[in-house]
This record gives sequence, C-alpha cells and structure tokens, in this order.
Amino acid sequence: MSIGPTKTETAPVAKIHVLQVEDNPLDSELVQRELRRAGFDFTATVVQTRADFIREVEEHCPQIVLADYNLPQWRGMEALAVLEHENVDVPLILVTGALGEVTAVECLKKGATDYVLKGALARLPVAVHRALRERTLRLQRKMAEHELAQKVEELARSNKELEQFAYVASHDLQEPLRMVASYTQLLGERYKGKLDETADKYIDYAVEGAKRMQTLIQDLLAFSRAGRNRPAQSDVDCNVVMKDVLQNLASSIDESGAVIACDDLPVVAADRMQLTQLLQNLIGNAIKFRKDNTPLISVKVERLKVESARIEPIKIAPIKTELAKNESAKTEATKVEGARIEATKLEPAKLEATKPDTAKPEVVKTLPANGFWQFSVSDEGIGIAPEHLESIFSVFHRLNTRAEYPGNGIGLAISKKIVEQYGGTIWVESSPGQGSTFKFTLPAAIGQAKGASA
Amino acid sequence: MVCTQEVLIVDDNPADLNLAQEALARCKRQNKISSVTDGEQAVAFLFRRGAYINQLRPNLVILDLNLPKKDGRAVLEELKSDPDLRKIPVVIFSTSQASSDIVRSYQLGANCYVSKPVDLKAYFAALQSIEEFWFGLARLPQGEGE
Repeated sequence: MSIGPTKTETAPVAKIHVLQVEDNPLDSELVQRELRRAGFDFTATVVQTRADFIREVEEHCPQIVLADYNLPQWRGMEALAVLEHENVDVPLILVTGALGEVTAVECLKKGATDYVLKGALARLPVAVHRALRERTLRLQRKMAEHELAQKVEELARSNKELEQFAYVASHDLQEPLRMVASYTQLLGERYKGKLDETADKYIDYAVEGAKRMQTLIQDLLAFSRAGRNRPAQSDVDCNVVMKDVLQNLASSIDESGAVIACDDLPVVAADRMQLTQLLQNLIGNAIKFRKDNTPLISVKVERLKVESARIEPIKIAPIKTELAKNESAKTEATKVEGARIEATKLEPAKLEATKPDTAKPEVVKTLPANGFWQFSVSDEGIGIAPEHLESIFSVFHRLNTRAEYPGNGIGLAISKKIVEQYGGTIWVESSPGQGSTFKFTLPAAIGQAKGASA
Repeated sequence: MVCTQEVLIVDDNPADLNLAQEALARCKRQNKISSVTDGEQAVAFLFRRGAYINQLRPNLVILDLNLPKKDGRAVLEELKSDPDLRKIPVVIFSTSQASSDIVRSYQLGANCYVSKPVDLKAYFAALQSIEEFWFGLARLPQGEGE
C-alpha cells in the first residue's frame, strides 16, 4: 500500500495523543521533534513499563503508539498484545534501533503497522500519517458495517412486525365484520319486500360491501400467511400437484371449455400446498382472463443448467432443456380437455427449446445444489400492457374492473411470495391481446439431480 | 323414539349466540338450546354448580375457544378430565383457523373442530351439519342426567 504525497503530512487534521514506549528520554524527544517538524498537533506521554502502558491506554485512549523494540523491563512488541487484549484499534509503529529484517517482518506479521529506524526518523511522519489514515478508514468501515447490520436487523424486525400486524389485523377485523355481514344478510332475508324498494337496495349495498371486505380480509390473511412460516421443503412431484390443481379448477375448466396441455413435470423442492396454490393461481388466471374463444393453456418446463444460476444478477440465457439420453424417449404431455385428462405423446423436440427471445433478466438469489427448473404457463388471453408487467405482482393490484373480471388482485402477490420463498423468481411476458406467459423458477428436488421424473 | 336433545352453546358474543340459535331453530328436529357466555358459567352449568344445580346435562356442547373468565381450552380440559362428563361430545366452534388451536383442541379431547364460516349461509350450514351429524347420524350415550 503506497501513499502519495499528501498535504496532511505538513498539516495533520486534528490534534492527536501519542503514547510512546521508550526508555531513552533523548530518543523520545527526537521523535517528538520530528513529529512537530512535520506539523503534527499532538500531546505525548512516555511510558516504560507494561503497567503504565495499560493505564495510559485505558485512561487516555491514544491515537497511536510509538514503541521501542527493546526496553530494559519490557519488550515493545508486547504492547501489541496489550492493545489486542484491551480490544482497542490503535496502530503501533516500532521506533527502534537496528532491527534485523527477519525480526521486522515478524513484528509486522504480529500486527505492528510499520517500523521506523531511529537512524531514519525523517520517515516517521509519513508512517504515522499512514497509520492514522488507515485507522480512520478501519473505523469508518466498522461503523458502516455496524450501521448496515443494524439496518438489516431493523428491516427484518419491521418486516416481521408488519406481517404480524397484517395477520392480527385481518384476523381481528374478521370478527366484527362477520357480524355486520351476517346480520345485514339476515335483515335482507327476513325483511325483503316488507320495507320499500330503497330499503331493499340499501340492504343489498350493505351486504355486498361487507362481503367484499370479507374476501379482501381473507386474501390479506392468506397473503400474510404465505410469508409467515416458511414450510418445510420436501421433494414434491409437480404432476401430482397438477392433478390436484385441475381437480380444484374443474368447474371453471368445464365452464370455459379450457384445453390445458401440460409437460411431464419434474420433482421440485418445495411445499405441496404452496405449489398447488401457485399453479392454481396461474392456471386459474389463464382461464379467467381469456378472450371470447376457448382458452388454450400450456404448461411447460425446462431445466436450467446449474452454472447458469449465479448469485449476481444475470440474464438467464435461453437454455435448451437438456434431456438426458436415457430419459428423453418418453416425454409425455398431459392434455386436458374439459375435465377430461388424456395423455398424449409429444415429440421430444417440442420440449427441447424455447424461443430465443424468452430470456429474462432476473436475479437468482440462492443457489440450490441441483439448480432450478423453469416453469411457464402460457395462455392466449387478453394479455397485459407493458407498463403493468411488474406491478401486477403487488398486493391488491387489479387491471380490470370487478364487473369484467372478479377478484381482489392477491393471487399473483401470493404466487410471487411463494416462488421467492424458495429462492426462485417469477415474471411475465405478455402484450395486450397476445396472451401471457408467466414464468417462474423453483429449485430442483433435493434428492434428484436428473431430469423430469418418469 | 323421538326425544328432545339438549345443546349447550358457549359463546361470549351475543350476536353469535343469536346466529347459532337461529341456525339450530331451522333444523327439522326440535332441540332444546341453552347458552352461556363465559367459561366459568360453562363449567358451572356442566358440573351443575350454583345457579345450575338443577340443570340437565346437555347431549352436545358447542364451545368457542376464546372466552372471558375461563378460556375455552380450560373448559374443554376440565370437561374431558371428568370421568362422567367426558362422554358428552364437544364441538369446538371458533373463528380461529390456526393449526395450533386445532391440534391443541384435539389433544384436549375435543370431538371435532369446526371453524366458524365467514359467510352466513355457510355458517348456518355448518351448524346444521353439526346438528345433523350428532343428533341424526351418530349414536349418543343415553340416560345421561335423567
């Protein structure tokens, strides 16, 4: 580390306190004279014994220690041990007569900042200045680190408080609201037609409002719950999850006549319930936000190479699914029409590559041992305008009126939370009228380093 | 043989009590419905203490968890520790959906746990299902308290 010509050499900034470990009064005077000549504003105390040294360090907090190597009663280097023991960051410079190179290196290794020979005291101011500057930098860094750690802790705490708040609030809000909703409903039931028309209308409004608030609160509750206790990660077969999802969505699939083509899905490390919720949200949306024609939805999956997942933000290049030779033969796709499920054979080639432009800048936060799977859920629905591609993942964000498409705008927020819990990412590629493709990544199964499960 | 079944509802919210009574009144069976609004009353009622000395034992208890004075969990524990009273089926009927509450209730011997549905129709349906199950389908111990 070199230090360039500095003006501080001639004009050090603040007054410093120097602690000298020296038995020769003449030497200590020479050292002080050198410092004064260089323009240091300082006070100095000279000690000769360990006891005095400790007392000085404790009582007067010197900014720097200048120690002779050999004292009759003590060795200057032992001062280092004292400083360490006192846990104070004070640089120590050896100011000494002849010191062999080996000894010098040894001293530096042990933590001395520098050494200056008494015969070449002119070098002392530079050494002192450098030592002080390094100390300042160290202190600043320490402070910054401390502040950062505090901020992180604060953030974690406020996050936790917020989640707790959302949970408690939505839970406690539910009770009185249930009463309002129940009794307005009862009123409506019992007195409909017995009051005038306006009264009936007012009761309807009250019931509607209360019901909507109930679903909002329940959604809020679901959202806060999704982030609270991270469920245990275990190996989950997504094909099984998919079956559940299709069953849960059976009525809307039936009603819309949706056709869902689905790859053979892998085993991932996640929680089955959460995974069901995630896929159900995405497929449910794909059905809900359809155009007038029959919704065609495809669920695809590809393996991301382990080395493509980095800790730094990177672009995940379009990656071909690497189907290991021995398992490429039977890549099945499950096709669903209405509530019917039939398996069809797909050409492996169809699965192999995605369009070259599907690369997406995303941060892969953690690095699971077996890498990630990338899922995509594509529809030919109404699509999303570019300015909304990110914001649709925030809570209660809705792009359409309730009359057009019912919902509270919580599904994608929950989906995002679920995916991010496992270190994955979720994003959407879409343009209005052109359909949407939601993509997300999930860590591959813990016990499985191969491709899709057969 | 038709005999009137007696239900004890323990809930501190009078509005909830009314709803429950309303729901049970709509059942095809005529049930006698009693209610108390805190845990201490519930225990006194069941153990026939104080004002409840001449009380008949209910055939079914519908118990809320969060109650004043004595918590629903404590009521449940006391009830299920009594060799006689433990025969009475207890349905926990609470807003809580916390799995800790559910697990704890079953550990203490609850016969089933039903979360209070938010929607009125579902709320009525839940209570009516409870009534139908315990008084229509299940066989209960007879001759209790007569």
